Amino acid sequence: MAASEPSRTLARSLPRVFAPSTRAQGFCCRRYASDQASTRSSSALGDLESDGSLKATAERQDAAKSFDPIARARSRRVQLPRSRYQFRSPKYDRGPLHPHRPPPPSDPSSRLFVPGPFSLPRVEQTYESTVASDILTLCYVHNPPGFKPPPKAPRLRSWDGDSPYHKNRALRGPRGGDVLRLLRKPITFNNIPKLERITIHSYVKQAATENSSWLHVAGIALQAISNVRVQTYKSRSSVAPWGIAPGRDTVAAKAELHGEDMEHFFGKLVDVVLPRLKDWPGVKGTSGDSSGNITFGLSQEQVALFPEIEVNYDMYPPKMIPGCHITIHTTAKTDKDARLLLSAMGIPFYGKIVD
Amino acid sequence: MRSLTLSPVLASLANVFKIPVSQTILRPALPLLNQTTISKPLTPGRQETRATFSTSSPLLKQKGRTYVDKRITLIRYFLHHPLTPRPLRFSRGRYLRHWTIHRAWQLYQANRRRAKQLELQRQWQAMNAACEELRTGAGDGGKLFRKSMIKTRVFRDMFPIEYGRLQTEGPGEGWNHDWKRPQPKR
Repeated sequence: MAASEPSRTLARSLPRVFAPSTRAQGFCCRRYASDQASTRSSSALGDLESDGSLKATAERQDAAKSFDPIARARSRRVQLPRSRYQFRSPKYDRGPLHPHRPPPPSDPSSRLFVPGPFSLPRVEQTYESTVASDILTLCYVHNPPGFKPPPKAPRLRSWDGDSPYHKNRALRGPRGGDVLRLLRKPITFNNIPKLERITIHSYVKQAATENSSWLHVAGIALQAISNVRVQTYKSRSSVAPWGIAPGRDTVAAKAELHGEDMEHFFGKLVDVVLPRLKDWPGVKGTSGDSSGNITFGLSQEQVALFPEIEVNYDMYPPKMIPGCHITIHTTAKTDKDARLLLSAMGIPFYGKIVD
Repeated sequence: MRSLTLSPVLASLANVFKIPVSQTILRPALPLLNQTTISKPLTPGRQETRATFSTSSPLLKQKGRTYVDKRITLIRYFLHHPLTPRPLRFSRGRYLRHWTIHRAWQLYQANRRRAKQLELQRQWQAMNAACEELRTGAGDGGKLFRKSMIKTRVFRDMFPIEYGRLQTEGPGEGWNHDWKRPQPKR
């Protein structure tokens, strides 16, 4: 009896080690609420069958035996291309009736395919998180429910019929000039102005008066700061003192930025370049084409402040670094909305504000 | 020969940057032209090469010769170099993988855009309800509401320049917390 006593206590005490206890295990003084849950769930896990995935082996094997890839491939109505088949997109889209049309630009075999985006620019994050809702709040105009704005006069005026020649004549333009301005709708949650694209344009007169190296340096400088292939343009106007004839001299380089490139460029402009300009009051308040696009210029020394040119400054002939005009196209319909957006994004304006 | 396995693009780049990779240069035309035109003038009368002890370029000393800056030559080389990436050619598996990822990314973007739009719409409707309450339920005959709808300075003063700052992780160490906006002179 005395010999069996320790074995009985051992048999009673052994499972207690493995049994779940309400107290925390170990020397940890802190108890977590999830500890009890985990110990309870460990006992609950015992009810689960452990061979759940192994039960259906017979059916799986049947499915594997009945699977015939060759017959399946033959039964296809339209065969898949071979694995090594290399598709070449046609160069031109010849319309919906042509049998051979290029794939959509998202297709990697398309000639227009651009991989990316590879980053989330800070400009976009700032716009989405704060600027959009702040502009929405600033521009909010309250109309009571049931309010209907009074109907406006038609923008194109009709001719008063005091002359017989007025019949069937095209409508008159608006008062004060024949320009039909864009219509501005009140800003609500679905037409908050945002950046659309940026154009960097550089007119290099020495490309006509001296040699082409000026244009080449200007082009590669624009490419360096914009990450976009530039296009060159011929002069459309005649400048007699510089000897520039229209259609003859290639004098300008232009880069158009969209999407990610545009946002990175704008971020560099606002964060790096503009704060370092000496005595720069801002963009002139009269700038803009009255349809929501704001233009300002940078001189040679200011273009040289872009980080891509600055780190590699020695590789550009210093006198040939171009000045440029930067046009910021926004989705705003008027200049005042565009200016509001740009001031929220960090571009200062000075002087008299003209809309 | 490791140099023979070098791709033409790499070889031409190495050629331009004067990295000696092999004896056989794949695109020798332009850099050799550079060396001959920039450092040694091609003069038919003087074929022998003499060591010049002047640091200035010898071409500058001659009259009637156009001196092309070496940097311009390099810029022209890189501007016109057809260093375009090869078109992506995927086989079936990779193409399907690309397609799946592309569709998933489009779906994610659409969801994000929609969530943003709904959030803006929610904010707008909240403003609408608040203004309606201010107009009718404030008990001041709508005076406060009318004051709040005056927007003459919104488009004149615009955002303060301290607001126009792209978001960062946080103000850096150089941030002056005691800075106050200087008051304009009256």
